Order: sequence, then structure tokens, then C-alpha cells
Amino acid sequence: MMKLSFEVNGTPCDLAEIDTRTTLLDALREHLRLTGTKKGCDHGQCGACTVLVNGTRINSCLSLAVQHHGDRITTIEGLGTPGALHPMQAAFVRHDGYQCGYCTPGQICSAVAVLAEIEAGVPSHVTADLGAAPPLTNLEIRERMSGNICRCGAYSNIVDAMAEVAGVKA
Amino acid sequence: MKPFGYVAAKDCEHAVALLAQYGKGARVLAGGTDLLADLKFSPHPPPEVVVDVSRVKEMKGISLTDAGLRIGAITTHGEIIESSVVQQVMPALADAAGVIGAHQTRNLGTLGGNLMTCVPSMDSGPTLLALDAQVTIAGPAGRRTIPLSELFVGPRRTSLQPGELLVDVLVPKENLNKPTGFQKFGLRKGQALALVNAAASAWMNDGLFSEPRIALGAVAPVVIRAPKAEAYLAGRPVSEEAMAEAGRIAATEAKPITDFRASAEYRRDLVAVLVKRCLVAALGRATPNQKELAS
Ligand SMILES: Cc1cc2nc3c(=O)[nH]c(=O)nc-3n(C[C@H](O)[C@H](O)[C@H](O)COP(=O)(O)OP(=O)(O)OC[C@H]3O[C@@H](n4cnc5c(N)ncnc54)[C@H](O)[C@@H]3O)c2cc1C
Ligand code: FES
Ligand code: FES
Repeated sequence: MMKLSFEVNGTPCDLAEIDTRTTLLDALREHLRLTGTKKGCDHGQCGACTVLVNGTRINSCLSLAVQHHGDRITTIEGLGTPGALHPMQAAFVRHDGYQCGYCTPGQICSAVAVLAEIEAGVPSHVTADLGAAPPLTNLEIRERMSGNICRCGAYSNIVDAMAEVAGVKA
Repeated sequence: MKPFGYVAAKDCEHAVALLAQYGKGARVLAGGTDLLADLKFSPHPPPEVVVDVSRVKEMKGISLTDAGLRIGAITTHGEIIESSVVQQVMPALADAAGVIGAHQTRNLGTLGGNLMTCVPSMDSGPTLLALDAQVTIAGPAGRRTIPLSELFVGPRRTSLQPGELLVDVLVPKENLNKPTGFQKFGLRKGQALALVNAAASAWMNDGLFSEPRIALGAVAPVVIRAPKAEAYLAGRPVSEEAMAEAGRIAATEAKPITDFRASAEYRRDLVAVLVKRCLVAALGRATPNQKELAS
């Protein structure tokens, strides 16, 4: 058992006693009742558990909660609310970027991070010119979203939603 | 998961002291992308204590020093891809980092964790082996530096002793900007382990190959070099045919297995193709002067 303090969706959180075995994913879901973040594989392979830690996207199922002392965590609940959707959430609704919705919180967290990475000029392995800002092509989006599996196969609508938010044609 | 103790190490010395204190009962935790799966699903008893090194400053970051390019063990694959220094002096390592798992995993997984897990398909191994990388190891008796090739002992086995910690990886100064190519072939483009991966480096001054290095992954118990293919290339004029022949020779040096992912024959064929592609990619990175002489 350990003490853990971090910031979740802008709110400071203190967990007085957390089992060291708890993953960040389980801490969010079971201790903080933020059940938007989903557990798909618990292995790092599906992306359903994607959250942002200090702005960087990670698989929360592969990280121990106690490794995040002092970190700033953003989950789907922190991006927007039903009354005030994040532009990416609104675009997913408009473009039907889901069917069952199980992968969706992870897809949206990842999608938000992708646009931030592109803006920061972070290359991917399909980026041809490492010197220039990576263009947001269909290929770039698909490569950068490859860690988010959608069992319902909503991929093309997800790409459309992301392209709309980025203001490009993909 | 079964219960285990947890300590966040403050620095290398603290980590080494903990590792020495607990011996075989301790496991190092960096990004956790391999260790968490182990802690969750392994049939073996859990470690007594997990020593978290993910906040040890000395083990993080990429820097050019008098000795070469130093990459701290807990530098993530994501940080390697983003590094302008790596892109400039060692782009093949960024190529390898860019095809490990998916973006979320690359933001957690570290270079040191990749080498220390020591699976034959590790994607960081071939490029670093082809550039004669060295690793720094800290232990109760102080620090030692060994060639990376001496770290790899067998599948999931390294030469580190209980109580020891991998601190950083160094590519020697003379090999910075050495033309190098990396190639990986998996069953899908994203999120697939390598059926085979490979790297090749060589100087191509005066239109001749010199100091060629060819390294192969997933075709032997550890990442290996292909010395016969290297000997064939050394001193030979740079040509497509020589690159293809080096690939064919390397294929005879590989010792792949047949498993559910691919047959040994298929993996051998892949070695020939990938080695040639690595050499072509290396040539593409040679300076204009080197390329002109080669044509
Ligand atoms: C979905 C998924 C896809 C993956 N795809 C790939 C892939 O395509 N290619 C590939 O090569 N790998 C892949 N991996 C494996 C893994 O992500 C990498 O090997 C990663 O680099 C491991 O680093 P880590 O920091 O997460 O290691 P950890 O899990 O923290 O540690 C791994 C092992 O190394 C030891 N260790 C870590 N750091 C040190 C140190 N500094 N000193 C001593 N011992 C240490 C630990 O005790 C543990 O035994 C994948 C993993 C997942 C979950
Ligand atoms: S639940 Fe974490 S990647 Fe699938
Ligand atoms: S919407 Fe069902 S898994 Fe993606």
C-alpha cells in the first residue's frame, strides 16, 4: 500500500492507500470511478485504455498507478462533457466514428494527441520529409492511429472526423 | 497480479543499492511495457520488490559527448523518434524506434527495456549492433562498459548479474553519420513483431565498402552479426549485385526456426531481401560525394 497524489482532469487527487499492483487504468476506473477509459486487452495491444499523461498518450493498462506521482492525467471525461463536447468528440458524433463505442474513448484521446503531435512536428515512420511539418494525410492518420483497434471497423469514419477537426481533406 | 513491494529509485546509486540488497528478488521497472505483462500473467512467483527507475534523471536523455552519442537507458522510443540529433547522426535508430509497437507503447517503452528483455526480435538491437554500440552497466562494484554484443546471452537472458543496472548506450564517435539502413518485416505494417529485422552499416568512400556491419534479428537465439557477408563486402566496389550477394550470404548465416508466424525457409528468404534493402537504404544516406563515386 502506498500514498499517491496526482492531478486528474484538472483536479488534484490524493489516494491515501493504493495497492502497488494497481495499474493506472484500474486506479482511474475503480478508485476514481472514471469509467470512460476502457479495458480491452489489458496487454497494451488494443488502445482502449489510452489516456494522456502530461499531454503524452500512453496505454494506462501498462503503467502502475504509483509511477504517476505528481503527473497530470487527462481522460475522456476531462476532454469534454455531454453539454460541452470537445471538438473531436463532436466530430466523432457527426461522422459516426463508432458503432458499439467501446474503443471510442481511447480513439478520441489518441486522436487529440495525434493532432497535437502533428502540430509539434513529431515525425512518424511514414513521414517522408523529416525536416518539414508532417502533412496530415490519410496515411499519416492511419499510421498514427494504428495503436487503437476498433472491433466494429469504424476506421474510415474516424479518419474523416479527425480530418475535419484538423481542417484537412483526408 | 500477486503482491510485490515497490520503490522509486532516486538515482542510479539508490537503484543499485536496492538491487544489491534484494538480489534475485528484485526486478527493475522502466516503461513497464514488458514487465507489466510479466507481473500480470507470469506463472512464476512475483518479485519481492520492483525497483522503478523511470524517474532517474541520469538514465534519461540523448546527448553528444566526446565519446559519441549517449542514450540513457530510460529514454523512450518516442523520444528517440523526436530527437533531431538521432535523425541527423543515426537515422536508422529512429527508423527502428518508429516501428516498435504503436505510438502509445513507444511513449512508455524504453531503449534499455528493449535491450534487457532480450527477445531475438527486439527492434533496437540490429542497428546498435551494426554501429558497434557499447553499454554502461552499474553494479555494487562500480561501473563497467561492455560491447552490446556481450550483453545478449540467449532469449530473455543477458549478461547482467543480479544487482546490476543498465545505465546507458553509447555509439562511438567514429560511427556517427556512418551510412546505415534498418528494415523490419512483420505480418502487418503496425503493431507486429518482426518475422525478421536487419540492419547494415558501411562506409562507402571511394566507391568501396569499408567496415561493413550486418546484424540480423529474430533468426537466432539473440541478435547476431553476419561475419561472412561482412567479409564478402569489405573492400568490394559498391554495386547492387554486391548488396544482393551479401544478402544471400547472410541468409546462409541465419539460423531461423519454424513457428506459427513463419517457416525457417521463409525467414531465410527474408534475410536475403532485407539485408539488400538495408544496404540500399544505407547507400541512400551516404554523402553525395560517396554516392557519386559508387555510381
Ligand atoms: C503491444 C506491444 C507491442 C510491442 N511491439 C514491439 C515491437 O514491435 N518491437 C519490439 O522490439 N518490442 C515490442 N514490444 C516490447 C516492448 O515494448 C519493448 O521491448 C520496450 O522497449 C520495453 O521497454 P520498457 O521500458 O517498457 O521495459 P520494462 O517492461 O520496464 O522492462 C523490461 C525488462 O527489462 C528490465 N529492465 C528495464 N530497464 C532496465 C535497466 N535499465 N537495467 C536493467 N534491467 C532493465 C526489466 O527488469 C524487465 O525485465 C511491444 C510491447 C507491447 C506491449
Ligand atoms: S486495455 Fe490497454 S491496450 Fe488494451
Ligand atoms: S466502435 Fe465498437 S470497437 Fe470501435
